[in-house]
Amino acid sequence: MCRGIEKLKLGLLLVAGVVTLVGCGAEVSTPAAESSVVKTVEDTETIVEQMIEESFVSVSENETTDIESDIDNESQVELQDSTVALSEEIGIISGNVDTVITEEFPAYVGEPFIVLNNNIPLFAEAELIATSFEYYSPLDSLGRCGVTYACIGTDIMPTEERGNIGQIKPTGWHTVKYEGIDGNYLYNRCHLIGYQLTGENANEQNLITGTRSMNVDGMLPFENMVADYVKETGNHVLYRVTPIFEGDNLLATGVQMEAMSVEDEGAGILFHVFVYNVQPGIVINYADGSSCVGETVTQATVTVPNAEVADQPDNEVEVTTPVVEQQDIVVGTDYILNTNTDKFHYPDCRSVKQMKAKNRKEYTGTREELIAQGYDPCGNCEP
Amino acid sequence: MIVIVATDDKQGMMFNNRRQSKDSELRKDILCEVGKCKLWLNAYSFGQFEEELEKNVCVAEDFVDKAGAREYCFVENLSLQEYEERIEELILYKWNRVYPSDLKFDIDLSSESWQMASTVDFVGSSHDKITKEVWKRV
Repeated sequence: MCRGIEKLKLGLLLVAGVVTLVGCGAEVSTPAAESSVVKTVEDTETIVEQMIEESFVSVSENETTDIESDIDNESQVELQDSTVALSEEIGIISGNVDTVITEEFPAYVGEPFIVLNNNIPLFAEAELIATSFEYYSPLDSLGRCGVTYACIGTDIMPTEERGNIGQIKPTGWHTVKYEGIDGNYLYNRCHLIGYQLTGENANEQNLITGTRSMNVDGMLPFENMVADYVKETGNHVLYRVTPIFEGDNLLATGVQMEAMSVEDEGAGILFHVFVYNVQPGIVINYADGSSCVGETVTQATVTVPNAEVADQPDNEVEVTTPVVEQQDIVVGTDYILNTNTDKFHYPDCRSVKQMKAKNRKEYTGTREELIAQGYDPCGNCEP
Repeated sequence: MIVIVATDDKQGMMFNNRRQSKDSELRKDILCEVGKCKLWLNAYSFGQFEEELEKNVCVAEDFVDKAGAREYCFVENLSLQEYEERIEELILYKWNRVYPSDLKFDIDLSSESWQMASTVDFVGSSHDKITKEVWKRV
């Protein structure tokens, strides 16, 4: 089995890593990178053999889609070799080596997501194997998540309630609240592959900083649809979520979600969308996740991977996301310190309201830093 | 005609030409509701009933046009607005979930034309709670 798992690691990294994602600023995943396969299934060797011998080989040799056919071999090689250039404009290699397409897509205009490539995901036909697995990319050099990829089946879906994930601080994280947001918190620890699909709790390779809107209005409906389909039919769904980071930004611009039901070849589930990491009425600095109330004051074009936007007359489409001048940003405070008791708290902890002003100090940084400085977490809010 | 539809919390019915969800307990409830009456549907909806239907089922792409008075229509992938005047009764199943949607249920049940006659919850095979509402024309 160990040999099988190692082969699975290699196979999945090859399929979903090397040929799947190069996030901006991200390093190219290589087979030597640490594996993130959390769960495997009994017949791992079968998966690997099928993926490598059937999918991988056939894909790299001759399988192309209509979109793929527009890319000549030379440009593919350039894309594969030019990870630095890709990083500069959020180039993504997704699905397989023949589906390397870099696109831009429209600005957020109020809808939580847009359809890409007429809702057709970029899986290779040979990837449609009805065997459950899950894969989570290693964090990149900036600590950011990469592609997550799974074949969802009932055997890997959770059987317990979700556990605590508060100890994870994804890149760009700020504990910040605004009036008018459901739950008040701007950011959620946002599962790339939803908990209801693979049962991953505090897996740092599966959690990004996402707005409440992206999490609940954007991603959750798709997760619900997949989860209920799998539970109802017992079928599998091939599922890939790719966070899109621009440059060295710590906060994702959004996530690309692809899914296709396996046994019925997409008759039940088929989608390919981009979900915006935005919150209406809040301006976000994607460089570090800081934010403030306000309207969009300027826009930046972001290049996003892989697909055409639905109903666009050509491939030249753009996405824009709001940015503001740095001086306009209100940087969120992560913790409140009590310098008398040497405890640290979340800003909304009830103990903070009772704290004497002379003992109160705002702190932006990590939990680990505070503990290293001798502070203890509050027993009430458990930061 | 009596129209049967299933929607999510945002009135959604379909996304990308696919039903948002399905549930075998909901299908059983529909068949129980219909009883010996005639049930009209199109080929797409027939696909999820195939092994469960009896002889009182009629399949046609223009099934809504063909359905007569007091006959049932199970509608998944059509706008209903243009047929509203012909609908005597609506049976609305709610998934109590939010799914993506690009085709929505487009009859305004808050108007004075409609009144809820009954509502009941039941457990589905893959849904924790499905709500069945019966609406009658005022």
